[in-house]
Amino acid sequence: MIETIEHLGLGLSVAFTLQNVFFCFLGCLIGTLVGVLPGVGPVATISILLPVTLSLDPTGALIMLAGIYYGAQYGGSTTAILVNIPGEATAVVTAIDGHEMAKKGQAGLALGLAAIGSFIAGTFATIVIAALATPMTKLGLLFGPAEYFSLMIMGLVLAVVLAHGSLTKALAMIVAGVLLSCVGADMETGRERMTFGLHMLTDGIEFVALAMGIFGFGEIFKNLADPEKRDVMRGKIGRLLPTFGELRHNLGAIARGTGLGSVLGVLPGNGAILAPFASYALEKRISDRPQDFGKGVPQAVAGPESANNAGAQTSFIPLLTLGLPPNAVMALMVGAMMIQGIVPGPQVIENSPDLFWGLVASMWIGNLMLVVINLPLIGVWVKLLKVPYRLLFPAIVAFCCIGLFSISNDPAQVMMAGVLGLLGFALYKLQFEAAPLALGFVLGRLLEEKLRQALIISDGSMTTFLTSPLSLGLLLVGAVALTIAVLPSIRRSRDEIFVED
Amino acid sequence: MSHEVPEEVITVDVPGHPPSSPVPPSNPWLGRERLAGFSLVAFGLFALWAGSDLPFMTEGGVGSGLLPRALAIIIMLLGVAQIIVTWNEVPESTGTWPVRDMLPVLIGVFLFAFTIRGYDFGAFSVPVLGMSVATPLSIIFAGAAAKDVRFGELLIFAAILTAVCIGLFRFALGLSLPVAPWLIGY
Repeated sequence: MIETIEHLGLGLSVAFTLQNVFFCFLGCLIGTLVGVLPGVGPVATISILLPVTLSLDPTGALIMLAGIYYGAQYGGSTTAILVNIPGEATAVVTAIDGHEMAKKGQAGLALGLAAIGSFIAGTFATIVIAALATPMTKLGLLFGPAEYFSLMIMGLVLAVVLAHGSLTKALAMIVAGVLLSCVGADMETGRERMTFGLHMLTDGIEFVALAMGIFGFGEIFKNLADPEKRDVMRGKIGRLLPTFGELRHNLGAIARGTGLGSVLGVLPGNGAILAPFASYALEKRISDRPQDFGKGVPQAVAGPESANNAGAQTSFIPLLTLGLPPNAVMALMVGAMMIQGIVPGPQVIENSPDLFWGLVASMWIGNLMLVVINLPLIGVWVKLLKVPYRLLFPAIVAFCCIGLFSISNDPAQVMMAGVLGLLGFALYKLQFEAAPLALGFVLGRLLEEKLRQALIISDGSMTTFLTSPLSLGLLLVGAVALTIAVLPSIRRSRDEIFVED
Repeated sequence: MSHEVPEEVITVDVPGHPPSSPVPPSNPWLGRERLAGFSLVAFGLFALWAGSDLPFMTEGGVGSGLLPRALAIIIMLLGVAQIIVTWNEVPESTGTWPVRDMLPVLIGVFLFAFTIRGYDFGAFSVPVLGMSVATPLSIIFAGAAAKDVRFGELLIFAAILTAVCIGLFRFALGLSLPVAPWLIGY
């Protein structure tokens, strides 16, 4: 406990330098700016803004990226409430009652509750991260290649179980992601694999190119292909800050959402996305008036938004302590850390405590920034929402191009992303989810590395994964989760959570 | 600290995705779910072929071909499973694939790639034109993909956004992007 406070103190002293507060502020601001744009989710936002952080020092860059992430999350909720267009999966729930509140002239209250709920959730999640960081890291150091391999397999299986829709399709997407990560030079022998002699594939497919292609360009293709529809909200934004009475009525929902989000956020794959759905379902179940849900209940905004933010934050835990990104956003963080020369894993906390604790503390500052800057700037975001899509998407295209080029000064990355955009569109048309693909892709290289290391240590014997008790336990958890998920009764209730609206 | 925002009428011009009623495909094999399974099988076969030259096992242990080949086979199996599982479902059309509407965006992206740092096509080569040319090209071509495009507006928008991008990325952020080497030398 004392240790945790000391660590947070160190973190705050790093994060509270003028420079880092500025980066945090800037990250939140531009993250919200891009995240508020309809149809631009956090993954696309972070990919677009990644180059902005290239010229900073590692600590500043990561602090800014974390700020961008929260900004993007909050921006997405703003759009969901004001115009009923959830920019991303996590804002879908917010859109249900949030937009109904907006129609009743309570948009301000919904936004205010979302911001305050997010802040409380963020504060709690920061403490959770600080408390769990040291023990988790110690656990991570106990892991050998075989245990790491089994942990990743379990994570990928859980990601499939938690995905929406068809299990077969989600599984196929994960495997396809791992397969795509095999493209490029073999890490041991340097032999080119599946590159077709193309120079641009020698180093493998860049994750940023994949992310921008599928989540950036693919989204644009999707919007161009489907018929346009105008969504109109008329009315007042109304008072932003809730009264004490209103706040008291929502504190329970915020607390429950925070708890749910903190737990679910650590899970791989859709964990953080599941959190707001679970919170909504819980609030509806314990409410005196469940029939009002869907007609603009404040608790149905405050709870899921808190869950959303807590989950967004605790999903940093596997990344920071074990070096394993649990979802596509965290995968981008890995990319950003690699560009800065930091290999994520249990050694980061030991080797660069300033960076680690500075980042953790800046999460809390970032959440504070969201309340301080976003509420007063709501008028600006509203104006931004009025930019017509015909101008918005060419701007996104240009930003993506510049971003892709600037990361490696390689025009081939720009072309690759363009082609991958078509893949993203095809996935959308065939109703494949792109998020498991991205996750499989990021974990793929690590998976193969650990597999080979483990097999070298065991002299090629596959039983090494079953003889280590830790590894066996992890594989069993994965097997049990998969078995449960295919049972018909569980499948039905799993589908029900997602169609709660 | 009450921030009253005056009455606002928010009109957002964004493509929505209304849940449209399912349309049957012209051929059951073109139904979404079956096509998805079929695509997986095709993708697996393609990967098998692409990795067919890689050694499966080496003396030192796992060869570079083991994982790709195993994954390709798993994907094919999943594709077959997908086809079987959804065999009795009523097939749904995947809707239109308006590739022609997307083409301008792709052209814009490729033109950016060819002009930003120059490109050697063999027969001829494109000089380094930099951000001042590549950015507006990508914006204008991409923008032409919109059904409600207004070219005058788009040109002005491209000019302003290019200036903003150069100011932001080259000067404010100090990234070493070529701006206009043919005009100002960097």
